[in-house]
Amino acid sequence: MNEVLHTYNLLIGYKGQPLIPEVNVSLCEGDIVALAGPNGSGKTTLFKTLSASIKPIGGEVKLFGKDLRDYSPTERSSLFSLVLTEKPDDLFLKVIDIVAAGRYPHLGLLARLKAEDEQIIYDSLQTVGIGHLTNRNFVSLSDGEKQKVMIAKALVQDTPIIFMDEPAAFLDYPSKIELVNIMHKLSREQHKTILFSSHDLDLLLRHSDQLWVMAPHQPLRQGTPKELVEQGIIDDYFKPIVAKEEFYWMR
Amino acid sequence: MAETPTIVPRSKAPILLISIGIVAVGLLLFVMNLCFGSVSIPFEEFTKALFHGDTSTYRAIILDYRLPQAITALLAGIGLSVAGLLMQTLFRNPLADPSLLGISSGSSLGVALVVLLGTATGLSVSTLSLWSTFGVAMAAFIGAFVVLLLILALSSRLRSMVSLVLVGIMIAYIAGSVTDILKFFSQKEGLHSFVIWGMGSFSNVGKAQLPFFAATILIGVVAAFLLFKTLNLLLLGERYAENLGVNIKRSSMLIILVSGFLTAVITAFCGPIAFLGLAVPHIARFLFKSSDHKLLIPATAFIGMDLALFCNLIARLPSFEGNLPINSVTALIGAPIVLWVIFHRQKVLR
Repeated sequence: MNEVLHTYNLLIGYKGQPLIPEVNVSLCEGDIVALAGPNGSGKTTLFKTLSASIKPIGGEVKLFGKDLRDYSPTERSSLFSLVLTEKPDDLFLKVIDIVAAGRYPHLGLLARLKAEDEQIIYDSLQTVGIGHLTNRNFVSLSDGEKQKVMIAKALVQDTPIIFMDEPAAFLDYPSKIELVNIMHKLSREQHKTILFSSHDLDLLLRHSDQLWVMAPHQPLRQGTPKELVEQGIIDDYFKPIVAKEEFYWMR
Repeated sequence: MAETPTIVPRSKAPILLISIGIVAVGLLLFVMNLCFGSVSIPFEEFTKALFHGDTSTYRAIILDYRLPQAITALLAGIGLSVAGLLMQTLFRNPLADPSLLGISSGSSLGVALVVLLGTATGLSVSTLSLWSTFGVAMAAFIGAFVVLLLILALSSRLRSMVSLVLVGIMIAYIAGSVTDILKFFSQKEGLHSFVIWGMGSFSNVGKAQLPFFAATILIGVVAAFLLFKTLNLLLLGERYAENLGVNIKRSSMLIILVSGFLTAVITAFCGPIAFLGLAVPHIARFLFKSSDHKLLIPATAFIGMDLALFCNLIARLPSFEGNLPINSVTALIGAPIVLWVIFHRQKVLR
């Protein structure tokens, strides 16, 4: 398997204060990698560091063998795309506007879409199954539909890596299944590398090739879900949560 | 020429039809601006005066007085509306606007400093030479720019659209009270010309200054148009924009420079004009049902032109002696639009 991303002694955090010990992880081409961890363990900070939104405190992130920060913003826009929990809220923004915006890094000054771009947009809309929503206003969509639009935008951007921050949050069960199907299609058919974070055990354990487990001030653990379960890491991870008052009925 | 077939279906809003309508209304309002006023000019006399080399007083009224005023109104409308659109997108706030965010007040303070303190040196707004106009414009620009920077610094901490507007209003109050204090200590003639300036008017730009005024606004609008890709990406949110290749800091600075520049030039020449910059982008979005800046910037410019000409016309309806302050007219039309925006958003987002 080809490595697409690698971190060396990466320290993440704000104002010089690392949140967790040095992170040494890698992403391989075509893998679906899940990131698990309670709120406040640094998942979003890790995402922001890997997507060059914030600087690492120490160490480095290598993307295709080159330091992340040595790429220009334009170069980065063709290497990884984002699906975030925050969503556009402009009232007149249409689905097609958002998806087409994903194509901007590939377009010229006047942003004219060539036949090839139209084809890519069309294919992406079909892949996530929202061809019928093209002209709808984004704010009028359901959470599941909105999520698909943002994935279509990421696809149109045509990057080898896709980062998804809690893609399953706010989704009902059928939408979650659809999301899983789309992620599998992208990874198996188009060999996209997907890193996503979630609180959903089912997604984390059953639908990922690799699992990264984070906890506050603890080292990040990487492995297949099976390995991590057998090593008891998943158990350890959930013990403090179960021990808390609100789960008294499980004891 | 055959249109390239598009694979992705798009709703065909009657964009062309609406555009033609807007331009036609603009032309009509322009002619009405030339015809109507304290002296009403019949249409036959109007064509005669313009096209038959007539040297009557009509011709003088039209060419020396009403034409520069109409062109000033149209340019100010274009500039303020485009500036408002830029601010609304940058701050992702539908209520962002040069007057509501205190930018005009910053400009006013700059102008007050120059004019009120400058009266001692014999400078007066009513007798502006090109050079002193330039000084006033610079002061207005610095005032606008400082407030814009302040708002930008604060906007990252204020996620709610209403609190940002409240901050803007507070800044406006501070700038306003400093201006008032300056007024208190200033001399009569400076005070008078400053108060007149503050009411807003499109008749301060003389024939000599018009080319300069037109050129600066044109430059500003073209610069704004060249930013349309960045503006479209900013609509998705900062992190998405950044991921799609936008350098957030540099782009924000550029947008602020362009909108501050437009606001400042217009404020310097015409006084602080409220609500045009706020209302027009909303009318454009609503008419074209779009958020695409490639369409919105020209649409906003033309609708801004129409609305400013309309306000100018209202301000000097034949039955009035002299001009109404343009600010009262724009507020009368703009404020209800603010209310509509707030209620409409609540309805849609619920």
